[in-house]
Amino acid sequence: MIETGIPKLDEYLDGGIPTGKSLVYLIHPGVEGDVFGMQSLYHNLEKGVKGIYVTSTASPHAIRDRFEELGWDLNSHRDHLIIVDAYSALIGQDSEERYLVEDPEDTASILKTVEKALEENPRGLLVCESLSNIMDLAGEEDTLQLLQDFHKVLVLYDTVSICNFTAWPYSDETIRRIKDELFNAVVKVGGIAERVIFGQYYGVSKVDWTQTKDATMLFRVIKPGGVKAFIPKILVTGPYHAGKSTFIHSISTRAVSVNRLGTTIALDHGHIEHRGISADIFGTPGQERFDPILKLLGGEALGVFLVVDSTQPTSFPRAKTMLELTKTFGLPTVVIANKQDLSGAMKPDDLRDRMKLPRDIPILPAVATSKTGVTDAFEMLLKRIMEGL
Amino acid sequence: MSDYKLGIPGLEEVVPVVKGGTNIMLIGPPMSGKEVIANNILYSGLAQGESGILVTTSMSGEDALKWFKDNGLDLEPHKPRLGIVDCMSQTIGLAIGDTENIKRVSSPVNLTGISVGITNFFEDFWMKKQVRKARLCVYSLSTMLMYSNLQTVFRFLHVFTGRIKTADALGIYVVEQGMHDDATINTLKQLLDGVLEVKVENDSCFLRAMGMSQKPTKWYEYEVEGSKINIKYSYVRPAPP
Repeated sequence: MIETGIPKLDEYLDGGIPTGKSLVYLIHPGVEGDVFGMQSLYHNLEKGVKGIYVTSTASPHAIRDRFEELGWDLNSHRDHLIIVDAYSALIGQDSEERYLVEDPEDTASILKTVEKALEENPRGLLVCESLSNIMDLAGEEDTLQLLQDFHKVLVLYDTVSICNFTAWPYSDETIRRIKDELFNAVVKVGGIAERVIFGQYYGVSKVDWTQTKDATMLFRVIKPGGVKAFIPKILVTGPYHAGKSTFIHSISTRAVSVNRLGTTIALDHGHIEHRGISADIFGTPGQERFDPILKLLGGEALGVFLVVDSTQPTSFPRAKTMLELTKTFGLPTVVIANKQDLSGAMKPDDLRDRMKLPRDIPILPAVATSKTGVTDAFEMLLKRIMEGL
Repeated sequence: MSDYKLGIPGLEEVVPVVKGGTNIMLIGPPMSGKEVIANNILYSGLAQGESGILVTTSMSGEDALKWFKDNGLDLEPHKPRLGIVDCMSQTIGLAIGDTENIKRVSSPVNLTGISVGITNFFEDFWMKKQVRKARLCVYSLSTMLMYSNLQTVFRFLHVFTGRIKTADALGIYVVEQGMHDDATINTLKQLLDGVLEVKVENDSCFLRAMGMSQKPTKWYEYEVEGSKINIKYSYVRPAPP
């Protein structure tokens, strides 16, 4: 079994990748997915596993520098690291590597060199730095055929393979075969987008040696350090006395509030652990005298809960103003129609009409005091955050 | 929706603003001052408080910064909103790392790396610095086409022209005339909304804009003086097709 070395991922894969199996990191363009392959390689070098790295977009020197930037010294693993240089010949550069692909645009030339490297260094991990780049150079059909040939030799040499593949707009058939046919496991590495990509996530979308787990992790690439599971910031805002603090305490695994006489005067903070996702949640005060700090509290939030008291329509204009004051207008938002247990509480549809909210902003009924509807709300907001992918 | 001023006096009289989400090809022969035009458009945005991202394929990030400095365009106040994706330094073997303003990509063939660099700057400017208007300048698509085939560059452009539209930003993509056949140029144009076209006749340079006003503008003669584009307002009838 070969571990990926990516936080939580080996758990999702039931320990890692079995010998002879293959995994692809299917990467949304613009997302730092290439670090995944590098991290998997380095993690295994550290464990004494032999690693073959097929580079196709950078010289072996540049690759070593890239690893170093991430805090990973390849020099201490000289005995176990084998670089297949499928780049230098492309730009007419000299290469000192033992395994040099003579024609990086020809899949037969790549296969021949990789096979030689595998034959001399069996029973390890092969990482392809950029399968999409090989596809760009050699064509879609030839590269798909190359993958089939790869898998035959991988089994022959008891090796596990991991490929980075950036999902540029290739033909639907190519993407389908990458996703469905040519790998034993597919890990989607995507971006959370509204107007720009502002967060990154990964999750297993296919695995054939264990049951696929419906789990996603948000991540950041830290230099040095590599891929780290990212805990997003979720903001809870809304008018005074809407039930924000109660909502945070009811949704959180643990929470703390800075309050005076039962009113939040600085912020609420909670931490959620839910279905493999960790999240930090911050609540704003609702009184107007705290407006100057709202923008600070809203900074870098990934999603927003707007909590309103369903029995107080006069507070609805203030609720919309708070989205603007926290500078979170336009972020994925879920409106919590709180206090549904009280008489006179408006139903979500009536509340939508009254607040003139667009149809694409979900409004969920909730009773924060009894934790009713809060889990649904969290799942809905996560879904909204992921919808931009 | 945002409006963008190109920052080229003279041309702005007929193309006062360009709508956000517009992608423009800047095409012309070598030595016609395209670099100065592109840098002016980028700098004009920075001077108006926008963010600017420059993808350089044939010059290091440091040299790009030096160009502005040497030409009297002060970048210091704008550096927090400036990002350069440098595809050159590591290609020629320079072992230099990223800086606050410069992200290195291993080579122009590494379109994945370029896309990550652009995306990271977009995220930083939009989310952390709260700058809502952005210009992206890719200098040049021609170098990318020397390393990758048309289909590959088309796919890259397809993704990024879409991102420019979504972000309501402005995209400028420089193409060297004479390096590519008409079919290549027309294929790339499919993804773009407008063209700034440059030509040289009898040692004089001319510029016109297409797709940014109701009809193509007339040809404006211009001179390059340091970092300035001086439009001379003379008119040359376009050559018959």
